[in-house]
Formats: sequence, C-alpha cells, structure tokens
Amino acid sequence: MDKSEVYRRVVGVVCRVLSVNEGLVEPDNHFVFDLGAESTQSIQLVAAFEAEFGIEIDEEAALGVQTVGAAADFIAAQLRMEDDG
Amino acid sequence: MAGPPSAPEVAALSDVGADAAGRVDTRADGLSAIFAPRSVAVLGVTPTPGTVPYDIFYNILSSGYQGTVFPVAPGKQSICAVRAYRYVLDIEGPVDLAVVVFPADVVERALEQCGRKGIRGAIVISAGFREVGAKGQAREERLKALCRQYGIAMIGPNCLGVINTDPAVRLNASFARKMPAAGRIAFLSQSGALCTAVLDYAREKQIGFSKFVSFGNKADVTEIELFEYLRHDPQTGVILLYLEEIRDGRRLIEAAQQVTRGEHPKPILAIKAGRTPQGADAAASHTGSLAGQDAICEAVFREAGILRVASIEEMFNAAVLYANQPLPAGNRLAIVTNAGGPGVMATDAAIRVGLRVPRLADASMARLRAALPAAANVKNPVDVIGDARADRYTAALEAVLDDPNVDQVLVILTPQSMTDIEAIAEGVCRIHRQAGKALACSFMGAADVGRGIRLLQEAGIPHYILPEWACEAMARVQTIRQWRGQPVGDTDRLPVDFAAARAILEEAPPGYLDEDRALAVLAAYGLPVPPHRLCSGPEEAVAFAEAHGYPAVLRVVSPQILHKSEVKGVALGLADAGMVRGAFQRMRHYVSAAVPRAEIRGLLVRRMIPAGHELILGAKRDPAFGPTVMFGLGGIYVELFEDVTFGLAPLGRATAARMLRQVRAGRLLEGLRGAPRADIENIQDCLVRLGQLAADFPRIVELDVNPLIAGPAEVGNAVADVRIRLAPQNASSQNPETEQSHGQE
Repeated sequence: MDKSEVYRRVVGVVCRVLSVNEGLVEPDNHFVFDLGAESTQSIQLVAAFEAEFGIEIDEEAALGVQTVGAAADFIAAQLRMEDDG
Repeated sequence: MAGPPSAPEVAALSDVGADAAGRVDTRADGLSAIFAPRSVAVLGVTPTPGTVPYDIFYNILSSGYQGTVFPVAPGKQSICAVRAYRYVLDIEGPVDLAVVVFPADVVERALEQCGRKGIRGAIVISAGFREVGAKGQAREERLKALCRQYGIAMIGPNCLGVINTDPAVRLNASFARKMPAAGRIAFLSQSGALCTAVLDYAREKQIGFSKFVSFGNKADVTEIELFEYLRHDPQTGVILLYLEEIRDGRRLIEAAQQVTRGEHPKPILAIKAGRTPQGADAAASHTGSLAGQDAICEAVFREAGILRVASIEEMFNAAVLYANQPLPAGNRLAIVTNAGGPGVMATDAAIRVGLRVPRLADASMARLRAALPAAANVKNPVDVIGDARADRYTAALEAVLDDPNVDQVLVILTPQSMTDIEAIAEGVCRIHRQAGKALACSFMGAADVGRGIRLLQEAGIPHYILPEWACEAMARVQTIRQWRGQPVGDTDRLPVDFAAARAILEEAPPGYLDEDRALAVLAAYGLPVPPHRLCSGPEEAVAFAEAHGYPAVLRVVSPQILHKSEVKGVALGLADAGMVRGAFQRMRHYVSAAVPRAEIRGLLVRRMIPAGHELILGAKRDPAFGPTVMFGLGGIYVELFEDVTFGLAPLGRATAARMLRQVRAGRLLEGLRGAPRADIENIQDCLVRLGQLAADFPRIVELDVNPLIAGPAEVGNAVADVRIRLAPQNASSQNPETEQSHGQE
C-alpha cells in the first residue's frame, strides 16, 4: 500500500476514534496535545488501526508513536515487513 | 465562556508585592495570578466526567468562580456548554492563570504556550515528574527552566490544586470533591491525597479555609513563597502546613519568622513527616547520631514560631481555637461542667499541659451561689450538677466569663435525661457573641449531643469530643502567645583567633582531626581548653605533669585511632611521675600491638579535670538547615536520655540561654538541692563560639565537645574531649562573609 494511502486511512481512523474534524488533522499533530486524545482513546486507536489495516501492533512499540505522521510511518513499515515476510 | 463578563474585584492583584514606587514584583504578581486570577484557562480538559481533567474544569465552573474560565480541549467544540479552544494561544484576550491537566509528556509544550501567551501563574496538576525517577526529574527541570524563561510562578507538578474561598474570587482549581466553607485557616500541603482527606474532615467539623494549596513537587513555588504571600493575605489568620521534605531550611525559618512575628502575626502549625536519611558515617559522633534532621527541625521550628504537631487532629484542634476565638491574655482556665468526673479529668489535663485552674473571685462565687443549687460546686471547676438545664449553664458561664481571674473557659456537658442539650448550646452561642474571652466546649458523647455540637460549630465555637483535647489546644494557643513575647533569634560575634583556626583547618585532610589539632581549633575560638602537651617521650610528659600538677591524664594521638579507650589509649588518675612514666610506656606498647599500622603522633598529657556536670556541645552541618549547634547532657547520659536541643548557627547569647533552658540538664546547672551553680554564662559563651566556628568553616561537618565538664562557677568549665570531622577540602572551606569580619583576641 502506498504511503499516502496509509496516511489518508490513518487520518480517517483518527477522526473517527477521536471525533475530530478531518480539516484539523496535520501529520505533526500530537494525539494528546493537538487532537485531545484521552488515555483510553490511545488503546482504541491502536485497536482501530489493527482493524483498518489487518495487522497486529505491538503495544509497547506503539507507545512511542505520538503523532499522526509517526503512526502512518509505523503502520507503513509494518505493512512492508509483512509483504516482505 | 462562563462567568460574568467583568473582572472580579481582586484586592490581592493590586495589593501584594507592590513597592512604594508602585512597581509590582513579578513573583508576587505570579502568586496573585494563582490565587486571584481574573481569568483561568484549563489546559487538557476532556469531556469525560469522573476524570481529573474534566472534574477540575467542572469544579471551577460550579464553585462560583467570579472570573472567566476557558477550557483548552483540542478537538472539542465545547465542554459543559462552554466554548473550547484548541490551544491556549487561541484564546482572545489575556489569561492570568493556567491550570495544566495534560499528561506529563505534553505538559512542557502546554507550559511553553502559556509563557508565550504571557500567563503569569500556573498550577500543574499532572503527575509523572520527579516522583517517578530520572525521566520525570528531567521533565521537571525543563518545566522549571520554562518558568524562569517566561516569569511564570508555578504550583506543582503532581498536586491536587488550589482553592481560594475569598468571595471576591471563589476559585476551586482542584479535583477536591467540594468547595470548602470560607474561614481564616490556610492549609498548605505537600501531599495531595492528604488534602482530600483534610477537606472531608473539615467539612464534617464545619471548619472553613481561606486558602487551600496542594503544592506537590514544589518545583517552582515552595512553602516559603506561600508563607510570604499568606503573610499579606487579609483572609488568612493561621497557617497549617504539611511538609515531607525541607530543601532550604534557612529560608523557611526566616520566612516563618516574618509570618509569626511582624505587625500582624499569624501562627504556623506544621506536621513535618519523614526523615532525611543520614549517612551511616554520621553515627561515628554523638552529634551526628542525635542530630537527625527531624530533631533539628523540632528545635528550629520552635525558634521560628512554628508549632510542630503530630497529627491532623492536633493541628485543627489548635487552629480552630486560634482562628475563631480571641487570643487569651493568660493561661487561667475556668471550667463549667455538669459532671464531676470529667471536670476533674479536665482540671488534671489543664494543669498537665501548663494551664492554671485558678480560684474564682469572691464576687463570682457569690453570683454562682445565688444562681446554682446548694449542692453545686461554685469553686473552679464549677459543677452545675447533673440535672442542670440551660438556665444554670447560662448563669455559670456568664459569671466565670466576667471573672477577672479567668482568661478562657471550657464548657463540659454530659447528656443526662433532663439535659436540654440544644438549649444549652444556644445559650453558649448567645453568650459567646459578647464574651470577649476564648471559649471552647466539650459535649461528651456522639449521637445525643450531635445537634448541640453542630450549633456550636456553626457559631464558630471550637468543640472537642474530649475535654483533654480542649486543654491541649488551649495550651498550644498559649505557646503561640508566649512566642510573640520572645525575642527573635539573635546573633553575637565574639573575638576569636580566626587565622589560627584557619591555618589548622585548611591544612588538615578530610576525616577526623587529631585531638591536639582539634583542641587548638577550640582554643583559637576561645573555648576553655585546659593546658596540655603532645609528648613524644615519657620524660616530656612527666615534666609537663610536674609543672601543671597531678593527677594527670594521658591520651594517645593517632590519625588511625578514633576510639581511644578501645585500644587502651587513655590513662586517667596518674598520681605521680612514676605512674605517668609507666602509663606512657604501657600505652605505646598496647596501642602499637592493637593497631600495628597506627602512626602514633604522641601522647597528649594534661591535668585531670575535676568532676562536674558532663555536658555535650556539638555542631553539625545539616543539608537543609546549614550549620547547627547542639547542647545537652553529655558523657554516658547522651545515649541514655537524649536530652539535647539544637539551634541554628551562628547564634547569640539570648538563643544560647534559651537552649540551656530547653533541656532538663539546664536545671542541674542552676544548682539543684544546694549544689553549686555552674558557670552558665560561660556555657552560653561556648555555644555562641561553637556556632561561630561552625558558620565560619563549612568544612566542619560535625563537631563534638563531649564532655565539656561544668564545675562550680569558681572552678569553671573545661573541654575534656573533642572530635571534629572535616569534609574534603574545596573552595568553600571557609565562609567568605566572615573572612573579613572575624575578631582577634
């Protein structure tokens, strides 16, 4: 899957889970500081990403991902690894 | 946006911290922004009730806050029907206070935006800083740097928040469940969880607060600045403090002295919990082992007018009495009771804590006789008898309140079948309004007396379940009164041979100073060091003893030997030249055998000091309080009684005199049962000189004069043993401030 497609779908998930307007979301947006994610929503986001992309995300590794762009990069890398594997 | 459009009338913003020229001190401005903000932004609000971010915003909204509140809630249109902002920078117009509830990892970004917005006060509620280890410590340091960069006064992080009940402000910027009632007590706490318990306790007892501050990690604003702020706060009459850690003891004491003395003195009652771990090596000297920070705290708090209490109950028992009743002119207590037993118990308790239960004036007793049945006791404690109703209580209370021999009154009630509890409570409340004297009650019991107690508390009359507690609270208020008449800690500087002490202390390696050198340091500072000589051979020792008299004492001097008697390095009562010669040879032999690697610098000879009171005088550099001085009963009594007290160094003669009175040994020195009086003035002088030495040379970590033998005044005092432990040599080996000002003998 191409990186821009991953980003577009990541933004879709973020807007759905956090109930934010798509026009507000930028790649460098921090889930908490810029988009208002509550602590429980972080877990919901991970679950929604897994469902959207059909992947399994390591929760500990996901903890370090704090922005929308970083989430897209993280998922794109995981998809590539799965394709290679 | 919530709240009325106009800014509240906030006296604090204009009154506090402005100098004569009208310039506003930025720090005071920051504190005013915290306590009396015209507008508040809550950063990190979420829409989920029951979470800290939501509850804090809701509490501000619902507590009747008189300013304007803005929720900063990224991604949300509104919170509780109040328009929300994505960033604090998006808010139009100025914001005085930011309450930050974001998770720890984004607090720095939030605070940075607050700085750019020009916000002067911040309360960081979020946890995850110094209390969680190195990563959190680094985060906290970055917050401190931002505070410095932008001139923000910050409470927290890791705290419950701040409450100001002033009707002009009414701010509950905390996640405490309810806004407390307004009152004259300010409560400051390092523990947030304790705050919620205290608020609950206070609500039940109808105790009101002026300010309520949980200051958490005190990364920026500390209890010291809060003292300074509350000193000027017209709503605050008494300050309560719960503290776990003291970082700058000196400034704390100075700030406390300003609060508890000054033109409008306010008492401070404190719980100091926890102890700073002392290094294991500190136990090598007596001063080290006795001078834990807790013991020092006890003594220096007393000097600063801070009343140290052990529990929340004790703290509020005294605070409520002080805050709601006139300050009694003296310690004379009248007791009115309907039960003999509790009256006797209260009398015992009163006398035990230092109150007096005086004889009433004849006129008062005549009034009581006329108003009470023949079986009543008209002497203090006044017993109105078990079947007393409100009329007897009222008559008795009025009579004792009018009595010129009475400074305060305790009303005791036990619920009997005919006791009209509420009517009695109402009578007490009515009389109390015109009394002009302190009044407290103890309606003993729980269920039956509940409504009566509530009436008393609503009228601001302190109530105690047990009469003994009332007496203890009254005694504490007496301590506050007496403190105000006491002179502030003084400092005297006496002439000393600073250069001689410096020459020794600069050259010496770290660790314990050899005895001859330690004695030379004490002699340079004017302590009564008896004549002595470090001898390399027996004939030299004999010559000294012949010149100075017998019996003589020999003591080994070696850098490797600290505990001399353990290696037979001390010989006492040497009555003639032969004994000195023999002891000299034996000592060298024994010590060399016991510690083969010991470098014996010589044996110190002096005349044996005649018997007297063995005292300990010490000095210790405390991490929080700096140089301190200790005084107490010395020799073998040090461990047995631990009868010691502390003072901050340098100190003056008045403080030294107080230290002598604070320990039981002080009475011994006055000459008990016909024993001669010691040279007390010289002991005070020694304490002043030791304080001067400890303050002049920061290298001195610990110093023990143990014992100083205090003989009768005509014989005088003499240093019998000394230990001085030095820190490694560095640039601060002496106090630069004193280098220029030391006196010379």
